[in-house]
Amino acid sequence: MAVDRRKVAVFGAAFVLRLLLICLFPSLPDLLTGRVEVSTPVNSFKRLQEGLYLYTRDVSPYDGGVFHQAPLLLPLFSLLPDVTTNPVPTAIFYFLVDLLNAHALATISASGQSVQSRLHSAMRKHIRWDGTSVAAWFLFNPFTIATCLARSTSVLTTSGILFAVSSAVSGNSLNAMLALGFASYLSLYPALLFVPLALLCYDQRSQNSAQAPNTALFILQHGAILSGGIAGLLGLSVLITGNFWEFMTATYGFHLLVPDLTPNVGLWWYFFIEMFDSFREFFLGVFWLHLASYVGGLTARLRRQPLFIITSLLGVFAVFKPYPSISDASLFFALLPLYRHLFPLMRYTFFAISALLYSSLLGPAFYHLWIYAGSGNANFFYAITLVWSLGLSILLADVIFAALRDEWEQDHPERKGEEVKQV
Amino acid sequence: MATPAALPPLPFNPGRVRSYLVRLPLFTRLVLLVILAFWLLELQTIWSVVEWGALIPNEINLGTMYRLNTYPIIHTGFFHAFLNALALTPLLERFEAEHGTLTSIALFVGLGLGYLKVLVPPEKVLRWIEGKLNLLGRLPHYVSVDQKTYGRDYIYNSAHLVSSVRRKFPVNNAELRAPQQAGLSPSTRRNIRLNLLVVVDWETSSNGSRSMALKSAIRNLRNNPQLLFVRLPNILSFLCIVVGVVWLLLLPLNDYSRQTYISENALLPGQVHAYFTGSEQNIFRGYKKELQALIQEGRENGPQNPEVESTPAISNKIYSILQAAGLKVATQKYEYTSAGIGYQGENVYGIIHAPRGDATEAIVLVAAWKTADDELNLNGVTLALTLARYFKRWSLWSKDIIFVFPPDSKTGTQAWIDAYHDLHPASVQSLPLKSGALQGALVIEYPFENHFHTLHIVYDGVNGQLPNLDLFNTAVAIAGGQMGIGANLQEMWKHDDSYQDRLKTILRGMTKQGLGYATGAHSSFMPYHIDAITLQPKGEGWEDEMALGRTIESLCRSLNNLLEHLHQSFFFYLLMQSNRFVSIGTYLPSAMLIAGNFTIMAIALWMRTGYYSDSNKPSVPAGSEGPKSKSDQKPDLVAQKEVTETKTVGSAVAERVLALPLSLVSGLHLLGLVPLWTFNTIFHQYFTAATYIFVVVDIVLPLILAALLSNGLGIARPIVPQQYLLIKSFALLLLGLSLSTLATLNFSLSFMIGLLCAPLSFITRIQGPAAVRYPISILGLALLNLLSPPAVLIGVCWYTGVPIETVLTQAAFGWDVWGMWTQVVVWCVWWPAWLIGCVLLGSSMF
Repeated sequence: MAVDRRKVAVFGAAFVLRLLLICLFPSLPDLLTGRVEVSTPVNSFKRLQEGLYLYTRDVSPYDGGVFHQAPLLLPLFSLLPDVTTNPVPTAIFYFLVDLLNAHALATISASGQSVQSRLHSAMRKHIRWDGTSVAAWFLFNPFTIATCLARSTSVLTTSGILFAVSSAVSGNSLNAMLALGFASYLSLYPALLFVPLALLCYDQRSQNSAQAPNTALFILQHGAILSGGIAGLLGLSVLITGNFWEFMTATYGFHLLVPDLTPNVGLWWYFFIEMFDSFREFFLGVFWLHLASYVGGLTARLRRQPLFIITSLLGVFAVFKPYPSISDASLFFALLPLYRHLFPLMRYTFFAISALLYSSLLGPAFYHLWIYAGSGNANFFYAITLVWSLGLSILLADVIFAALRDEWEQDHPERKGEEVKQV
Repeated sequence: MATPAALPPLPFNPGRVRSYLVRLPLFTRLVLLVILAFWLLELQTIWSVVEWGALIPNEINLGTMYRLNTYPIIHTGFFHAFLNALALTPLLERFEAEHGTLTSIALFVGLGLGYLKVLVPPEKVLRWIEGKLNLLGRLPHYVSVDQKTYGRDYIYNSAHLVSSVRRKFPVNNAELRAPQQAGLSPSTRRNIRLNLLVVVDWETSSNGSRSMALKSAIRNLRNNPQLLFVRLPNILSFLCIVVGVVWLLLLPLNDYSRQTYISENALLPGQVHAYFTGSEQNIFRGYKKELQALIQEGRENGPQNPEVESTPAISNKIYSILQAAGLKVATQKYEYTSAGIGYQGENVYGIIHAPRGDATEAIVLVAAWKTADDELNLNGVTLALTLARYFKRWSLWSKDIIFVFPPDSKTGTQAWIDAYHDLHPASVQSLPLKSGALQGALVIEYPFENHFHTLHIVYDGVNGQLPNLDLFNTAVAIAGGQMGIGANLQEMWKHDDSYQDRLKTILRGMTKQGLGYATGAHSSFMPYHIDAITLQPKGEGWEDEMALGRTIESLCRSLNNLLEHLHQSFFFYLLMQSNRFVSIGTYLPSAMLIAGNFTIMAIALWMRTGYYSDSNKPSVPAGSEGPKSKSDQKPDLVAQKEVTETKTVGSAVAERVLALPLSLVSGLHLLGLVPLWTFNTIFHQYFTAATYIFVVVDIVLPLILAALLSNGLGIARPIVPQQYLLIKSFALLLLGLSLSTLATLNFSLSFMIGLLCAPLSFITRIQGPAAVRYPISILGLALLNLLSPPAVLIGVCWYTGVPIETVLTQAAFGWDVWGMWTQVVVWCVWWPAWLIGCVLLGSSMF
């Protein structure tokens, strides 16, 4: 196999950059681990350390109510040397995960699925970046680097999702479902990606085989694989923890019921702090329903571009998840360059990116004013998380608009380039 | 300058605004006129219109009933009137249009106010009269074609309308055709038609009586987006800067500042009797004798300058005095190195455990052996020792009181407070003895022997953080109200409460806040959210150390009352007098406007780069196309190529070439780390030389970069003019967003840097013949170099007479010990932005 020199250079540079950062600023990983923008209760490395400590001493890791992550992470991380004395191996493990994610992205990009799928062919397919550039955007994104250095366990979810997609676009639907099962096992919400991913697999299968498979059967089959994968992982977890209900409530119950209202970049914590307890259940239902409802709508509307459904859903999750962090945003940003051909159709990129830049500077400043200087309050930080979400939503809405416009131009080639107005 | 010829059409149609105004019905116009008239009337000062016509309940009687009708049309100022008119017009216009002029008058002018309801004629009658008078029809085209046909507010875009206009007004045909022949884009053409339509519409009704000037001005605005995208941002940015500065200058006025007040009720300043008198003075004298003896001893056999340096003998003496007074005492050794200078010393501190508390909260009293001005603080230390003994005997303390005696004001408290929170570096010892959360800190400085006149309160913290205003107010209230001692601030010894003195006080406060250095031993407490002030007796007077002691006793009693951490009052304020301040809501817009000017410019530049500069189109106003120079030719080729590309793509939006601008801007910002590292690491004796070297680097570097860019860096395609605009856009965007973030943390620093960077908004690449370009760009570069960070440093040092080395040593010390980040702002925000400005200007020479 010929070695792609550009790709090696990008991957090597990304690795060296990360290594340089932890060597030059040894306190940086711990600083980032403590930032609320990066670490949430469900992906914090600090909490993982706590769980690990309990686990290695044969106490249930969920005792104490600090650790809320999947149990299988514990044996995995107990293999790595103690991070307080020897942080480099853990860091390198995370770097490698990042590189693997980038590789998956490059595979997705190389498949050309984003511009040319079974039912859709983009109008501007000549405007695109190759896999290496897409991987470079991912690897050199400051948000990705911050997530990686903070050793947030979201990177594993990210790799689950990216591998699911890369397997799906290469026609390996079994692996796709298993990888999605892994991601869902870790963070629950990726399960919502099942429908678009199954559609992606379906399109891929019917493109490659002479006749299209039976839709219902196909979906059922893949649903079964996914559930089987998750069930297997849950079974392993039971073997580790011994108490099924304890870890279910501590992990997925925690995801679903949102009991920890530590500030994060999302919209939930402030709402649930302000809310009277009697309304809590109702609004939990509403918020989750809202999050899940995008799946149906986007899938129906964008049926022709399953990969784009996944991209936009990841954008939705980055805004409306109960415990979002910048790692979710970085995953969304990672998939956006696949749609380079839509950029000319986007209208508010500058404003969205300015809003994101402003909030990524003002967020830490206001958090400092609130928590350390004591001269601000929670509203300062929440206002900025609103701006952050606004920036993300504008970007998301804009890219969806561009995709729809692209579809419309495919249907009406004669009216390409005409001005449109939203009414 | 690459002027884009085919900028996008305006997002709104000015013609439509005018046609709206022209179509306003009679009564609406009348009301607007009256509002305007009354506003004009108010401008004179002899007769107060507001007094005459406002709705004041006490003033209402039969003779003043007119007030019921005058109050809606009298306003307190221009903005009041303007905004009210803005809100009123669409509603009233709509109402009048639907219900008729007479009904509107009847309802508006008081017939309908309720008490005369019976007198209101039935609407039918009114309508009938109105129909006869045809009030609505009197005004030109109030009911216009477009409203009937297309509803309100629609763009007339159908061809037959235009043709009908053509048929009616053949004169205009030439004008209509002209743009077509000129080859304008279809959308522009349509817009011109619209304007014509509106103009024609209006002209027929008013019989061409109005001047043509307004018409053509509006049409120009519509057809010439150059104004909107090139000139307007410049004007707006400039306005932002001017308004920002004027805003700051307005702050000292009574209308914009406020009287201080105690917000936290628990403080109860000056409500207790202070008992620190009489016999305590003997104790004070005794302690002072003991310390003086030690100083004398040190002078005889000690090192140089022994009267200022604290010695182990002195800290032992303090230790033993505190121990004898019954406090728990401990010491802490520390050592710092910065810019090749070592600092070391030993803190002595003692704790009075609160008889009524549970050791969860504490107040700190600090008396450093050396004051912030490196004077011997003998009276201050003695007073603190006396107070320690005195406080120990009281049973009313509910918070622990900690007495800290650091050897100097710069390092000692920093080492102590860091260690108190376990955040100290390895060269600083941990504290063997601790108490609860610190609620406040007072620093005593009394470095002279005579009696004093006033109390100088120093409150600035590291990085411009300020203590809660309540603490300052309490000190002022106790000193002034209870003790009868005046209070000063910001070294304003003679403050006559005039505008000049207030402004001067604000500016001095802003300078200290902006530079962000520690102004005293209290400054180190601020980053830990512990409110702290320094009390310095000043002047010749009759107040003795006992009066200062009583002030401190009373202050401690107030702090002792606190139920929770000081939080009620302001943390962001500018003080202009010991009892006057402006709060953040009032002053923040000033810095935000200045930061906003960069963002406005960045957005405008971004929008400009989205559209092609296509020199083929002749519709560009004459004069904006200079003679083509060499640098103009290249981009034209590129533009041509891109135009053909667009045609294939079919989009009117230009593709921006982002890679080079993005990497250049981020690379130069990262380059700022080099001077940051240099100026915080090298030895202090090299600082002056490094500054001068850096001035030279600042002259040469932009020219090298500009030459590299213009000649394509040897590796990439030559840069296109669009990219210069993008570089500027990104640089200004980053500058704007950094400064607005900074304004929330350190207003003054943001304001100062914003002002120093203000020219960068208006700098662009100069084009034209070489004879013009070279002198202008060289002159501009020379002027810009006067505003570079090292040049400004040298200038300020020369003006104030402080050696550069002292300033930079202090800065490096601040970086190493206090955690000051002024340098980060200078080198990673200001310097890169400045450098990019110079590169843009320098590129006009290549």
